[in-house]
Amino acid sequence: MALKKKKRVQKREELAITSMMDMMTIILVFLLKSYASTEVTVTPSGDMQLPTSTAKKAPELAVQLMVSKTEILVDGVPVLNLTTVQDEENPGQMMIAVPEDEKKGQMITDLYDRLLDKAEQAKALGEASGSEQHAFKGRILLQCDQTLPFTVIREVMYTAGQAQFSEFKFVVYKTE
Amino acid sequence: MAGKGRRTAEEAPLDLVPIMNLVTILIPFLLMSAQFVTLAVIDSTLPAIGPPQEVQEEPDEPPLMLSIAVTDQGFTVLGDNGVVTGEAEEGAEGEEAEGDPEPTIPCAERPCTSAESYDYEELTRMLSLIKDEYPDDQNVILVPEGRIQYEVIVRTMDSTREDKTQKGEDDSSRELFPFVVIAGGAQ
Repeated sequence: MALKKKKRVQKREELAITSMMDMMTIILVFLLKSYASTEVTVTPSGDMQLPTSTAKKAPELAVQLMVSKTEILVDGVPVLNLTTVQDEENPGQMMIAVPEDEKKGQMITDLYDRLLDKAEQAKALGEASGSEQHAFKGRILLQCDQTLPFTVIREVMYTAGQAQFSEFKFVVYKTE
Repeated sequence: MAGKGRRTAEEAPLDLVPIMNLVTILIPFLLMSAQFVTLAVIDSTLPAIGPPQEVQEEPDEPPLMLSIAVTDQGFTVLGDNGVVTGEAEEGAEGEEAEGDPEPTIPCAERPCTSAESYDYEELTRMLSLIKDEYPDDQNVILVPEGRIQYEVIVRTMDSTREDKTQKGEDDSSRELFPFVVIAGGAQ
């Protein structure tokens, strides 16, 4: 009788851990699968909604130029703010645009200066490393909000082109 | 003998606590760096600026120079010999010169109000027919109007890249015109 009682107490000490382990293993496998292995990341926000696309090409590391509804950033550092202007052909509707005093013709001057710095840096780095793989190829990752009008994108592309970035890579969300 | 059997039964439960510790640490870490949306890129190059291109030999056939103008009325498909119209109107090609030309693929409602009102399927279908005629061409020039939203441009690039309704080589969707150049735009 005494022996039986002691045994029951010992059994109660064990924690029923098996089911929890099952769950953890499944979660672990799932999370490992969705582990972010790419260098390029986006920070989603209300001002920045990338379009979706059926493109399959994986992004690679390059200078990141981000155009949200309110500002332009290069590698995460803000360069200038965007404004809204009246749409001339559709009165009453507002349109996102680059402020007139920020640009010379089609070129956005502040953005040009910043991108030129980036291009010089990348070139110096490429020369220092001496390898073909790291040579400056003028690649630029463009992250643009899906509602931006083409005028803004055209001016950004033109400016980037002037600053020796000619290989554009438009970053999009991939649809399965 | 019986006592020995009893002892092995008591030793059986594994000590899972260290594994549990490991897993509980790994889960928050992986949750933090988990990626729930996957990114992709669409390549495009600037037409004018950049290192000079190698001078290519004169091809036997003239290049197609396929361009697609995106306006608030719809898509207008242009080739080297003028506006490509629908198949039915092919005989009347070249006769429409005065006034604003009709878009090749008009929107469902005009002017187009949202990215949904463009007929991307019809554009893919038409480009598929053009690809039949010019199987070696891979370039397309996009000419969007200034007010066209970025989303429309991306979706247009999607529909010019591949035809999902047809199977190409290696059982993927048929490739149409994967090299996109975005031109200055119609003002």
